[in-house]
Amino acid sequence: MTLVMPKVDQLILDDKEKIVRDLKKFTNPINIISDLEGITPYETDALSAYKQKPMAVVLPENTSEVSNILKYCNEKNIKVVPRGAGTGLSGGALPLADCVLLGLGKFNKILEIDFENRCVVTQPGVTNLALTKAVEHKDFYYAPDPSSQIACSIGGNIAENSGGVHSLKYGTTTNNVLGVEFVLMDGTIMRFGGKKIESEGYDLLGLITGSEGLLGVVTEVTVKILKKPQSIKALLLGFQKIEESGQCVSDIISGGIIPAGMEVMDKPLIKATDDYSKAGYPRDVDAILIVELDGTESEVNVLIKKVEEIAKKNKATYLRISKNDDERLRFWSGRKVAFPAVGSISPDYLCMDGTIPRKKLPEVLKEITRLSNKYGLRVANCFHAGDGNLHPLIMFDSNIRSELKKAEQFGADILKYCVKSGGVLTGEHGVGIEKRDLMCEMFNDEDIQQQLNIKEAFDKNSLLNPGKVYPLLHRCAEGGKMHVHKDNNKFKDIPRF
Amino acid sequence: MSEIYSPSSENDVSNFIRESHEQDTPIEIIGQNTRPIGRLIQCSKTLQLKNLNGIIEYFPEELYIKVKAATSLGLVEAELDKRDQELAFEPADLGFLYNGKSNKGSVGGAVSCNLSGSRRFKSGALRDHILGFQGVNGKGEIVKSGGTVVKNVTGYDVSKLIAGSYGTLVALTEIVLKVQPKNEESQTLLINNINLKKALNIFSKAMQTSVEISGACFYPEKSLNFFKLNDLDISTSITALRIEGPKISVVERVNTLKKLFDEYKKTMSVLENYQSRIFWKNTTDLEFFNNTESVVIKIILPSVNTGQFINQFENEELRYVVDWAGNLTWIAIPQNDSVLLRQLRKAALALNGHMTIIKAPNHVRIREDFLTTVDDNIKVLSLKIKESFDPKKILNPGKMYSGI
Repeated sequence: MTLVMPKVDQLILDDKEKIVRDLKKFTNPINIISDLEGITPYETDALSAYKQKPMAVVLPENTSEVSNILKYCNEKNIKVVPRGAGTGLSGGALPLADCVLLGLGKFNKILEIDFENRCVVTQPGVTNLALTKAVEHKDFYYAPDPSSQIACSIGGNIAENSGGVHSLKYGTTTNNVLGVEFVLMDGTIMRFGGKKIESEGYDLLGLITGSEGLLGVVTEVTVKILKKPQSIKALLLGFQKIEESGQCVSDIISGGIIPAGMEVMDKPLIKATDDYSKAGYPRDVDAILIVELDGTESEVNVLIKKVEEIAKKNKATYLRISKNDDERLRFWSGRKVAFPAVGSISPDYLCMDGTIPRKKLPEVLKEITRLSNKYGLRVANCFHAGDGNLHPLIMFDSNIRSELKKAEQFGADILKYCVKSGGVLTGEHGVGIEKRDLMCEMFNDEDIQQQLNIKEAFDKNSLLNPGKVYPLLHRCAEGGKMHVHKDNNKFKDIPRF
Repeated sequence: MSEIYSPSSENDVSNFIRESHEQDTPIEIIGQNTRPIGRLIQCSKTLQLKNLNGIIEYFPEELYIKVKAATSLGLVEAELDKRDQELAFEPADLGFLYNGKSNKGSVGGAVSCNLSGSRRFKSGALRDHILGFQGVNGKGEIVKSGGTVVKNVTGYDVSKLIAGSYGTLVALTEIVLKVQPKNEESQTLLINNINLKKALNIFSKAMQTSVEISGACFYPEKSLNFFKLNDLDISTSITALRIEGPKISVVERVNTLKKLFDEYKKTMSVLENYQSRIFWKNTTDLEFFNNTESVVIKIILPSVNTGQFINQFENEELRYVVDWAGNLTWIAIPQNDSVLLRQLRKAALALNGHMTIIKAPNHVRIREDFLTTVDDNIKVLSLKIKESFDPKKILNPGKMYSGI
C-alpha cells in the first residue's frame, strides 16, 4: 500500500531549532527530545511496518504544559501527533516528519480510588491492567481488557475505544468511562463528564471516545469499576466443522445467554497456540470455542449445563468444563498468546480486525480460505464470537519482496468482505492509517464530510493527528474505489486531512 | 400557525430540509409528538416524521433491531417480547407524566432525549445501546454512522452524539438498537420506614457486593399515594432493591441481601416476579407524577451527594423520588415557584450535578433554562458541533440552549 500522508511543511522543518528552543519554555527541557537517537524509539507504534521519525518528541508532565504546547503548535501551524503507550495496531500514533510527537508517558499516576462512587480517577498514561491491580484488593476490577492490557495505556484505550474478550457483556471503553479532562488543539482545557453517572447536553465524552487522537488530548480519566463476579467458569469445546462452532454461538445467544466471553479459534491457530502455550487444546478438531460464564455459583452452574446441552446439539466432539480457576485460565492461556504464537511460526504477520454478524462467520471464513489460496499466504483466525469481532492473522515474510504488499492486499480484501457481509472495517484496533483508505467501503462522501466537519469543530486548522482515519484528498467514487477527482471535487474549499 | 410537513420517505425529508436550508427557514422536528420537552421554540415549519415508521429488520440472534425513526417504541418492545428480548435501558413511558395515560412515543423521540429507566446504573443509558443511525443534517444531506454490530470503531461514534441531541443535529430517519435477552426472573427486596440517609447507605452497601442489583430506588412517605400493589405497605417510606437474572440466582442473591440488611428484617418484604415487574415499570414510567400539573425536574448528582442535596430543601415539602441507586432524583414543584426552581438548580451545580426540566407549562419553558450547562467552553464547542451539522441552525433551533 502506498501511503500518502499530509504534505510536509518545509518551513516548519527549516524552523526546527527555534521550535525546539521554544518548546523548552513550556516544560522541563529534558522533556524535549530532538536528537536522532532519542526520537527513533517513537518512529512507529505496534503497526511496525510503517516508520517515520517525528521532528521532535515532547513529554509533558501536567495538563497546563499540554495546553501551552498545543496552543503554541496551533499558533505556529505545527502538526501534533499524540501517543500513549504506542501499542496501537492501526498506526494511529505514526509520526509525521514535520510533527511534534506528544507522548503522555509521564502521566502515569492513579489520582484517586473512590470505592464509594465505584470509580477511579487516573492520569492517561497508566496501563489498563494497573487499574485493575489498584482495586483488586477489594475485589473490584476495570472491565475492558484488550489483549495488550499489560502495556497499553488508559488514554490510548479512550482514543481507540478498546474492547477485549468480555465486551459482549461488559461493553467497551465507551461504556466504562465516566469522564475526561481533555485539551483541544488551541489549548482549551475542558472537562466532559466526571463522577456523576451522566452529563447533559451533547455527549462529548461519547464522541471523543474512539476518536483516535484527532479531536483532542486526554489528560485525565475517570472510569467506573465493577465488583468481581462471585463465580467464573469456562467451557472448552471442540468441533469437527467450524460451521458447528458458529451455530453453537448463535444458539447460545438465541437461548438467552450472554456469556462473559466467547472465543473461536480455527485449526491453524489451535496448533500454533497450543504448541506455544501448552494450553492442552484438542488437536483433532477444526475449531475450538471457549465460553466463559460468570455470576453467582448456582447461576453459573445452571448456565454451564445449558451451554453444554447446546454444544452437544451442535455436535461438539470435545467438551471440558473448568474445575477451578487454574484450569479456566489454562483454557485462556492459548488464546491470550495467539499473536506471539503466530509470530513464532511466521517471520511476520498482519493482524486484521473486522466485525461481522455472528451468523456470517462460516461464510466469511470460507472466503478467507479462498483468499489465502489466491494470495498464497497462510492465515490463522481468532474470533471474539460473542461480539462478532474477527482477527485473521495473515502470515508473510517481509524479506521476500512484495509479500508485505500482498499481505496488505489480502487484508484489505478480507475487510471489504466483512463490510459486504453487513459488518464493519474495524472492531477495536481503530482505522489509523491502516484502514484509512478503505473508509469509502463503508461511508460515502456525505458521511465522511460530516465527520470531517466535526473534526473542524474541535481542530480548525487540522493540526492534530492529521492523515489518520479519513482519506486524504479523495472522494469516494462508485464501487467503493477511490480516485482523485481534481476537477470534480464538490468540497474543494475544505482541507482534507 | 406553523406549516406541518409529513414526508413519507427519507428522500422527501432530505429535499424538505435542503429547501429550508436554502431559504433559511427554521424547522421544528417532531416524531409522534408525545414529549413536549426542551425549550419552547417557534418555527414557521414543522417536520413531522410520523410516516417514517416500521421495523426494517430484526435479528434476535444478532441482538439488534433496525427501525425507521418514528416507529412506535411500544411496537418495538412488543416485537422483542415475542422473542424474549428487550431494550436493556428500559425506556420510560412518559405518556403518564404528560397526559395521564400510556404513550411510549417513537424510537426517534426516545433517542433524541436519551432518557433511560431504572436499570440505568447497571445496564447503561440509551446512548450505550444505539449501534448506528441514518438521518438528514441541516443541509439536507443524508448521513450515517455506526452499523449493526456491537464492536465498531470505524470513524467517530456519532451515534452517541445524536442520542440526547434533541433533534438539533439531524432529523433521524433510521436507528439501530442493541437488544438483550429478557431476564428470566425479577424480584424486589423492599424495606419500609427508613429515611433517605439510611436508604442511600443501603444502596451503597449493596453496590459494594457482587449481588448485582439492577434497580435501587427510594420513595419518601409522602410520594407514595399512587401505588396499588396488593401487598405493598405504603403508609411509610419504601426503599427498593431489584435483583434480576435466572431464577435460581435471583433467589440466592435476594437471600444474600436479606442477610446483609438483617437489621431491617422487621420491615422487610419481597416482591415476587409479577409484582416486581409492575413496581419497576411504575417507577421507570414516573407514574408517581401521573398527569401532574407541577413542574417536574430531573437532578443528576454523584450518589454520595444526594443526601446532602435533599437535606438543603428539608423545609420545602418536596415531592421527590430517588432512583438509579442514588444518582437520580425526580422532583415535582409548584408551577410558579421559580425561586425554588432556581435554588434547586444552584444546589445541584454546587454538588457537581445538573438539573433538567422534563415537564413544565409553556410559560416556564420560555422563561427557564432547560439544561444547566454553565461552562462557556462547553457551550462554544457545542455551538461549533451544531454548526458542523447544521450551519444555518435551522433544526430545532434553541431547543437545548438559546442560540444552539
